[in-house]
Amino acid sequence: MNELNILGEPAGGEHHHCWRCGHDPAPEPAEPLSLFCQFCNTLQPPVPDYYAFFNLPRELALDLAELQRKFYALSRLLHPDRYTRAAERERKYSLEATAILNDGYRVLRDPVERAEYVLKEAGFDLGEQRSRDVPPELLEEVFELNMALDELKSGDQSAVPQLVESRASFQQMLGEIDGELAGQFRRHDHSEAREARHTILEQIRKILNRRRYIRNLVSEVDRQLTAHGA
Amino acid sequence: MAYSDKVLDHYNNPRNVGSLDKKDPSVGTGLVGAPECGDVMKLQIKVNADTGIIEDAKFKTFGCGSAIASSSLATEMLKGKTVEEALAIKNTELVNELSLPPVKIHCSVLAEDAIKAAIQDYKAKAETPAPAATA
Repeated sequence: MNELNILGEPAGGEHHHCWRCGHDPAPEPAEPLSLFCQFCNTLQPPVPDYYAFFNLPRELALDLAELQRKFYALSRLLHPDRYTRAAERERKYSLEATAILNDGYRVLRDPVERAEYVLKEAGFDLGEQRSRDVPPELLEEVFELNMALDELKSGDQSAVPQLVESRASFQQMLGEIDGELAGQFRRHDHSEAREARHTILEQIRKILNRRRYIRNLVSEVDRQLTAHGA
Repeated sequence: MAYSDKVLDHYNNPRNVGSLDKKDPSVGTGLVGAPECGDVMKLQIKVNADTGIIEDAKFKTFGCGSAIASSSLATEMLKGKTVEEALAIKNTELVNELSLPPVKIHCSVLAEDAIKAAIQDYKAKAETPAPAATA
């Protein structure tokens, strides 16, 4: 199914034949989906999937040094300055590819954004979160924190030491959560089965919810402490 | 986004703000939170053990206007109802009464969760007799 649009590009971003020389990498399955035609070295329509773009395995515990190395190498290869004399189509691809390169690098190098990306691509709805994702002990602490914040907002400086203490405790929690995430990332990468991966991704989503919740609290405490000169 | 008049009314004059003694065996406490917006809602009911009627309800909510209005209205609806009637309260009733827009429906869901949590806490207490030392 190789439907072509007006520009003669294959629909859906998948490319099998080089748009310029017609080379078809498909008969050689060992050949990875490449940004450049293996035959005439022409830039191909870039794939929007970040992992495929960087030609990296779909892993959560990514090798950041490897990612950075690829980012620099691809930045040089794709830079629009290299394509000023190229065909219009190739110039367009270099702009598109550079945008994907930068977005992809920004997302993949950050563990939280990377996990959210993988979740979204796996069909998880990140907007849908319910209170049961937050453990009750944590809610108690959050409630107390909000009470103290209210006191501070009404000008009661006596809440400051408690807030500073809570912030430290929440920051420590963030550290623990990051450790927990790293562990789940490794479990995910070691699981081959789709269902097993899905179950782990569900766990990861819950951890991310908790993380976002706590991170918001820490920034709120920071903001209020600064605003009230503490 | 503009709040409805009813939301503004509950937000500016919240009903039944406060707390009940959570150690009291006739009091059920529900504490829920929404990770996406950082809201946290505490809702408490005081039940007459003989009649099963909710005699008092209090709340304290940290969150947006819709979350405060949802929990304020919830406490009003709870008073005078039996525990079983209270369990049947649906978030859609809060949505309709407050004319909540779709993006604020989760606030009403949170309030429904809080009601259910408070009732569950009350029931759990009723099943396990209070320690004799509290007398």
